[in-house]
Amino acid sequence: MTAIWAIAVITFKEGIRNRAIYGISIFALLLLGANLLISSMIMQEVGKVAVDMALSTVSFAGLLLVLFVGINLMAKDLDKKTIYMVLSRPISRPQYILGKFFGMALLILATISILSIFAIISIFMVKLSYPGYFSRFSWPPILLAISFITISLILLSALTFLFASFSSTSFITLILTIVSYIIGQSIMDVKALVEAPQAVGIQVSPVTVKVVQAAYYIFPNLSIFDIKLQAAHGLPISLSYIFWAVSYGAVYTCLTIILASIIFRRREFP
Amino acid sequence: MIKIEGISKEFKEGIGSRKVKALEHLTLEIHKGEVFGFLGPNGAGKSTAIKILINLISPDIGYASIMGKDVSAKDTRRHVGYLPENPYFYDYLTAEELLWFGGRASGLSPSVIKERTNELLNRVNLQAARKRQLRTYSKGMVQRAGIALALIHDPDVVILDEPMSGLDPIGRKMVGDIMMELKAQGKTVFFSSHILTDIERFCNRVGIIVGGKLRLVDRLDNLLSGTATLENIFLKEVEKAGGGIEI
Amino acid sequence: MQRVLPIILILLLLPIHVSIISKVTEGKKLLPKGEGTSYVLPPPILKIMALEFDGLASDFLFLQGLVFFGSTSERKERPRLKEWEWRWFYNILNASTGLDPYFFDPYYVAQAHLTWEGNMPRETNTLLEKGSRYRDWEWMLPFYIGFNHFYFLQENEKAAFYLMDASKRQGAPSLLPQLAARLMYKANRTENAIIFLQEMIKRTDDDALKKMYETRLNALKGILFLERATAVYQDRFGRRPERLDDMITKNVIREIPKDPYGGEFYIDKDGTIKTTSELR
Repeated sequence: MTAIWAIAVITFKEGIRNRAIYGISIFALLLLGANLLISSMIMQEVGKVAVDMALSTVSFAGLLLVLFVGINLMAKDLDKKTIYMVLSRPISRPQYILGKFFGMALLILATISILSIFAIISIFMVKLSYPGYFSRFSWPPILLAISFITISLILLSALTFLFASFSSTSFITLILTIVSYIIGQSIMDVKALVEAPQAVGIQVSPVTVKVVQAAYYIFPNLSIFDIKLQAAHGLPISLSYIFWAVSYGAVYTCLTIILASIIFRRREFP
Repeated sequence: MIKIEGISKEFKEGIGSRKVKALEHLTLEIHKGEVFGFLGPNGAGKSTAIKILINLISPDIGYASIMGKDVSAKDTRRHVGYLPENPYFYDYLTAEELLWFGGRASGLSPSVIKERTNELLNRVNLQAARKRQLRTYSKGMVQRAGIALALIHDPDVVILDEPMSGLDPIGRKMVGDIMMELKAQGKTVFFSSHILTDIERFCNRVGIIVGGKLRLVDRLDNLLSGTATLENIFLKEVEKAGGGIEI
Repeated sequence: MQRVLPIILILLLLPIHVSIISKVTEGKKLLPKGEGTSYVLPPPILKIMALEFDGLASDFLFLQGLVFFGSTSERKERPRLKEWEWRWFYNILNASTGLDPYFFDPYYVAQAHLTWEGNMPRETNTLLEKGSRYRDWEWMLPFYIGFNHFYFLQENEKAAFYLMDASKRQGAPSLLPQLAARLMYKANRTENAIIFLQEMIKRTDDDALKKMYETRLNALKGILFLERATAVYQDRFGRRPERLDDMITKNVIREIPKDPYGGEFYIDKDGTIKTTSELR
């Protein structure tokens, strides 16, 4: 356990000191500042748009974090051979994967927390400017949406570990992660579309339907962690939904990390 | 202390089926308390053999153990210190944090780590830079940090892959002195090099490897008893191996 | 010489750069434009493309529509938008609500412009019905649907139905059931319209929209005044006036109200009061 924690600590430190974090933060702050501007163009539901902007910024910044800082943390080890300094200790490969994953999860948690503080300030400032236009506004769904974003990102970073465990370069890991993200976010909508294509007036072959349905089980359904719409309109989320969504995230993440450590066991570093 | 028995390793080069024999039936034993020099030209298989000992690579056939424990078990490395060739560390960590990590991962308590960190950083002359991030270090400083990391847990066996590479004369002296100190402490040192003078200065025994095959193993004083120089012996072995360099 | 050369080159190129900019801008403006199209990607496709940013995408689609519509306010020609432009505007609002059916603004704007100027009350109602289904706490949406059925589509029964739906929702004004009853019993159409409009004006914050409704209200008040005067004339003289001026000469009214749309009120062959401006 101490070994896993030690790896998590240095992974976290290495990540949080990465210059890219500054870039992502500045980008996020700019978007949150723009929130005031965009919200002012809306006639009625200013609150909804302010929340849309703020949550989308947090989500997108988190995505950039996982894709560039996260993959970099694994890639550095594999491409630049910094892994020798870790694997030469008395630790097993699974301990290594777990340690790095916890470090990454902590990094996501810390970064999203800071970003959300700014997001909340941004929403608050819009609320102060247009107090009358915030009907049906409520903070708890917003906080819940942020938590779900965090879970979604941790799940995605587990996938980056899986891909890194067998990919030869960090670029391949990046591409696979981006593809998984896109599929993960859209698979539910695509499934709905191919199961009822008459809405758009196109024909879909039965093979396509089967392929999509299979993909639905294999790829993570990231859209279940997207409750930004509900948060923006102050719509309630049932406790059972929260329970099942969190369980899905936990199970999928565990499966991914276990698979990653199995593959990684047999990897060689010539 | 270190037992290598019949280890062979092949690598696939490129997309075709071109196979490279990195090691062929390597059998070698390093005794407790000795300084063993692993000498060979570039590409002879020295690093491959060392990486097998650290379980970074698995052999195709054969077996290796350190202090009686199989090298594929993680606990074996509790008493082994390793310095890779051209070490890379996490850029944004400080030397202090690096050694903290090495100590914790080896199961040391924080107070012991603190003590040994001070000791080692003094020994490798990095006290002044201990709180600076490793990315600001010169190559020599990085190498010295690597040595500190290899020794933080007071290992009984120290394995160094080209420890002098890229060091200036001051650095080389420091490394050499440390190796002698380790020997005086009764530790086993196994290092690889292609620099003859280093082998001559520090080793008890020497193994010459060319083209993946171990050609010669003997005590240094035996080898140099006559008029032969290490250079002659080495070049002769290289010639016998037929040029022996696979690039 | 080596060090001065780059500076000389920059000094030479800068004025050329400045003069080229205007040429290029002019040229781009003169490039033949493609045929205007009303096509907007269907909502299910947009949903997939928006990944997890449905809400934000719906906001931007709406803003796109709004900005375009605002840019046409400069136009002098009537009707202000071409047929295909109205279609596009509708498609954009449909797409925006396809991504976020809870978003109120598109429904609001659709009701304000697509019905009156855009002449698409039935399509607007389709849109509003979607909104009414999702925003089931909102009385204004079924109210608008009811108004459209009454005013534009002359379907009083349907109008009454939606008004009753609206009256059950939170915050609905108490006059809704009464208004529904009036519609069912085909009371005076202009009066009903005035009641509707007064309610809508009360609920509008947008100044431009308010003015628009008030203009229409004044026009309708003028029409109601003339309708009532016509009834008085009929009562007194046994027949309808041939022209509105007859009512002035016969001392029923003192003057004909002005049409705020710039047209002239007249009485039609079937006795209804109309105006040359057609209230546009």
